[in-house]
Amino acid sequence: MLALRLLYRDWRGGELRLLALAVVIAVAAVTGVAWLADRVAGATETRAADLLAADRALEYPEPIPMAWQEDAEAAGLETALTAVFPTVVVTENSNRLISAKAVSDGYPLRGTLRTQSALGAPEAEPPGVPEPGTAWVESRLLGLLDLELGETLSMGALELTVTQILSFEPDRGQGFGSLAPRVMFNHADLDATELLGPGSRVRHKLLLAGAQDDVVAFTEAIARYEGNAVEVEIPSEQGEGASAIIEQAKRFLGLAALLTVIVAGVAVLLTVRHYAERQITGVAVMRAMGATRQRVLQIFVGKLLWLGLFAGAVGAALGFLLHLAMLGLVADLLGVELPGAGWQPLATGWLTAAAALLGFALPTLMRLRDAPPMRVLRADLGSGLLRGGMPLLMAALVILALMAWQAGDLRVTASVFGAVAGTLALLTAIAASIVYGARAWARRGGQSRLLWLTGFTRRPLTAVIQIVAVGVGLMSLFLLAVVRNDLLSAWQAEIPPDAPNQFLINIQSDEVDGVRQTLADAGIETVFYPMVRARLTQLNGEPISAEDYDSPQARRLTRREFNLSWADQLQPDNDIVAGRWWDAVQDPGKQLSVETEFAEEIGVGLGDRLTFVSAGSQVTAEITSLRDVRWESFNVNFFVLGAPGTFDDMPRTWLTSFYLPESDTALLNELIRQFPSVTPIDVTSVLRIVRSIIEQGSSVVELMALLTLAAGVLVLLAALQITGEQRRFESALLRALGASGARIRRMARLEFWLIGAIAGGIAGIAATGAGVVVAEVLFNLDYPFRPVTLVIGAGVGVVTVWIAGGLGARRYYRTSPMRLLREGG
Amino acid sequence: MPANKDATSTASPILEARALAMRFKAPEGEISLFENLDLSIDAGDSLAILGTSGSGKSTLLGLLAGLDLPSDGEVIMAGHDLTQMDEDARAGLRAGRVGFVFQAFHLLPGLTALENVMLPAELAGDGAASDKARVALERVGLKARMAHYPAQLSGGEQQRVALARAFISEPQILFADEPTGNLDHRTGEQIIDLLFALNRDHGTTLVLVTHDQAVAARCAHVRYLREGALALEAA
Repeated sequence: MLALRLLYRDWRGGELRLLALAVVIAVAAVTGVAWLADRVAGATETRAADLLAADRALEYPEPIPMAWQEDAEAAGLETALTAVFPTVVVTENSNRLISAKAVSDGYPLRGTLRTQSALGAPEAEPPGVPEPGTAWVESRLLGLLDLELGETLSMGALELTVTQILSFEPDRGQGFGSLAPRVMFNHADLDATELLGPGSRVRHKLLLAGAQDDVVAFTEAIARYEGNAVEVEIPSEQGEGASAIIEQAKRFLGLAALLTVIVAGVAVLLTVRHYAERQITGVAVMRAMGATRQRVLQIFVGKLLWLGLFAGAVGAALGFLLHLAMLGLVADLLGVELPGAGWQPLATGWLTAAAALLGFALPTLMRLRDAPPMRVLRADLGSGLLRGGMPLLMAALVILALMAWQAGDLRVTASVFGAVAGTLALLTAIAASIVYGARAWARRGGQSRLLWLTGFTRRPLTAVIQIVAVGVGLMSLFLLAVVRNDLLSAWQAEIPPDAPNQFLINIQSDEVDGVRQTLADAGIETVFYPMVRARLTQLNGEPISAEDYDSPQARRLTRREFNLSWADQLQPDNDIVAGRWWDAVQDPGKQLSVETEFAEEIGVGLGDRLTFVSAGSQVTAEITSLRDVRWESFNVNFFVLGAPGTFDDMPRTWLTSFYLPESDTALLNELIRQFPSVTPIDVTSVLRIVRSIIEQGSSVVELMALLTLAAGVLVLLAALQITGEQRRFESALLRALGASGARIRRMARLEFWLIGAIAGGIAGIAATGAGVVVAEVLFNLDYPFRPVTLVIGAGVGVVTVWIAGGLGARRYYRTSPMRLLREGG
Repeated sequence: MPANKDATSTASPILEARALAMRFKAPEGEISLFENLDLSIDAGDSLAILGTSGSGKSTLLGLLAGLDLPSDGEVIMAGHDLTQMDEDARAGLRAGRVGFVFQAFHLLPGLTALENVMLPAELAGDGAASDKARVALERVGLKARMAHYPAQLSGGEQQRVALARAFISEPQILFADEPTGNLDHRTGEQIIDLLFALNRDHGTTLVLVTHDQAVAARCAHVRYLREGALALEAA
């Protein structure tokens, strides 16, 4: 309790306020970010779940057994049934291959349906699913079948009245699985179609939603019992492009949280050093009075723990409010109901606070126990007590540990830590050479110039510390404010506004020229890709079977037909990571280039030979390269590419993709009319989801930058506090010697300008350098190094240090010369 | 060392120094501050060590109080050889047994007068620290200024607070280092009066270091530290 009493006395004396504030900001940042990230990640997972229309789904080749649904409901889960199959619908005048989807009440469990009551009418959320006896159809089917709302169509033995236009379906648009126009009807009518005989190609699904643990437990129990027959679908598998972007958004949030913690940690490091310096004499007095080293340690550890408890509580409360404020600001963008706030972020924040306090503050405070008691008689003793790099080393280790924990990726940790450590070393080296250079120059220049530069050159070491401290703060700010924006632009540029939103597939070879001409007439130039549908039958001459694989993903890949293609040039959104791309000019022969994740999934690598079979012809070729594919570009890409000529013996169709403004439906209708066998796929709705996730992520990150800004300002104030006493004394001395107040302020201003310009300039360059590294390593984006940030950084540095320094140091320059007499300096 | 005869005349010295030497390493080689000092003081007695600036008298005081270790020799406090103990053991010995008054007062600036006085008792885990501190401050005439911070007190008042702090744990030995060094003559006299009054009240052994002959003369015994040796007479 003595520690608590002493802490209270320190607090009352104003000793620990900056330190406490640093802890409060660190905890507020961590808890706020953790709560936000927790709930936003929950929301983005909800978005991912939208793409599945459920938290998880079970796919089964037979009708879903009634018992599963009953068991799931008994386990407190929401359920819905779907069945998707290709069939032909018939009207009075026409018929068409469609993709039928039977849905039960409750569908979709995640996300929403949107329908229109007439062509061109506004979209609305329907209250449920199609009534038995009715159907909702996509608008293009109305055109294709020359059908109107209220009319009927026949599906097998069933007559359905078309009542609504289906404009959005959350789990639509997953790859090329369901290309034909959709007809959605009630699951209760499924049997009445009389279409579901043995061998029919129906994908039955049981959609599930509820508490995550319950959903997982239930699906895993079924999967264990049923074995390979049942396939569990989880949200993150839905849509390669969307999940890659969600993953990037999560990393972005993690990076923002990390920077706030580091900057607040720097503030803790600086304030605790200042505090400890002022405690040395007091500890020497205590030790002279008989306090043992252990007792001194107990007192200071006790103080830290109490401080951590209080500041942690205040910080957590602030963090909670902060995350509420942030959520309020992005509520429109989130658009989905957020999961409730959990307790885990509170524990996360408190643990981070404890780790930061013990890591940043304790090593310095521990030194105090060695304060020499003789200092009470000889003031010069113990002045070097706090020297040495141990606290810095400990801080570096704590930062490293926090980074590893937050990033969860050693490569990212190493590169971010390397950037920070390298920047510190660089800042120190450059700052030291400038400051000591200026000092030598001022010395040669005589007394008056020395006086002009006094604050800067008389305290070269503190000037260097200030430049480094301010530089670190500014660099963090630049990273978040400037580099982040650039990164975000580069990131968003990956999905340009004119990203392809229409795919045309099943184009026959003799139709390619016609389709190309029709598109060209509309001003659209596109690339046509050949496509062969083939089944993978052998690996290195051995027959391959789905049963050889454990993962459902791999089993599905080996069961289904592949889309193969060939190319002479590597696409810009592809990177060769192993082997070499073929030289198309000199007949390359039969070779394959395989996407890396796909290769990993089915367990193949360079030198393996794959055998594909299509329509009776067989091709065997060797894998000569592995490619990384940026799926988020939304360009046409293939898991397996062959060298030109590899698949020449196989029947092929063509596909192309292009951007079409949403309103421009006439072109599509024209294409469908001219080329009836061509299937158009509209991915606008998928893109809409993806884009909103990106925007949501960027707004949140922008708000997080404010926290780092607060921590950065605290670093500035802490750096000023370190030299505060010295400034106060110098100011009083100079005034006693006859310097005017204006002159003293001028000197201080010059000092702040120099510190700001040097710190800001170096920070600007370092931040953009770090941005290049982060962009390359973490986000796989192209990001140009911009030397102009040197100038911008110096400008921002001057203004920031001038304002914060001027406000923070004002009180030091109001000291009356009388103080010198009273305190004897 | 005949100079110590009268100070070692009684049978039970509470503090004793034997063949004490202190040397420092300096760029120009080893410097000897003093060599082969013997000293003894009985419980309840008072001893002044006089010397000029830089004569090493404060260092000697620190060695006698166990704040530092000598290069050679022994310091026996209450029967314990301080030179055989580590710093924590010496601190344990000092706790509650030794009090200090410093030239620079060394009050903690963030603590009120009352809290400064309470501190030694609090460190010793004394539950009645606050009551004892009030009594001690009343005794030095600062009843009305208990809630004041050191910066709000004059030099003389600060030294009174330091006196109250020194006596709160009723020490057996009080070490005073130039207690009037930062005070004007009149205030200094008042502080010395108070110091000796308290010393008498508590039966405390007093070891005082000063360069002021008049202050030294108030002690029962006086030694002169000169050129690394102790003498009975002034030069």
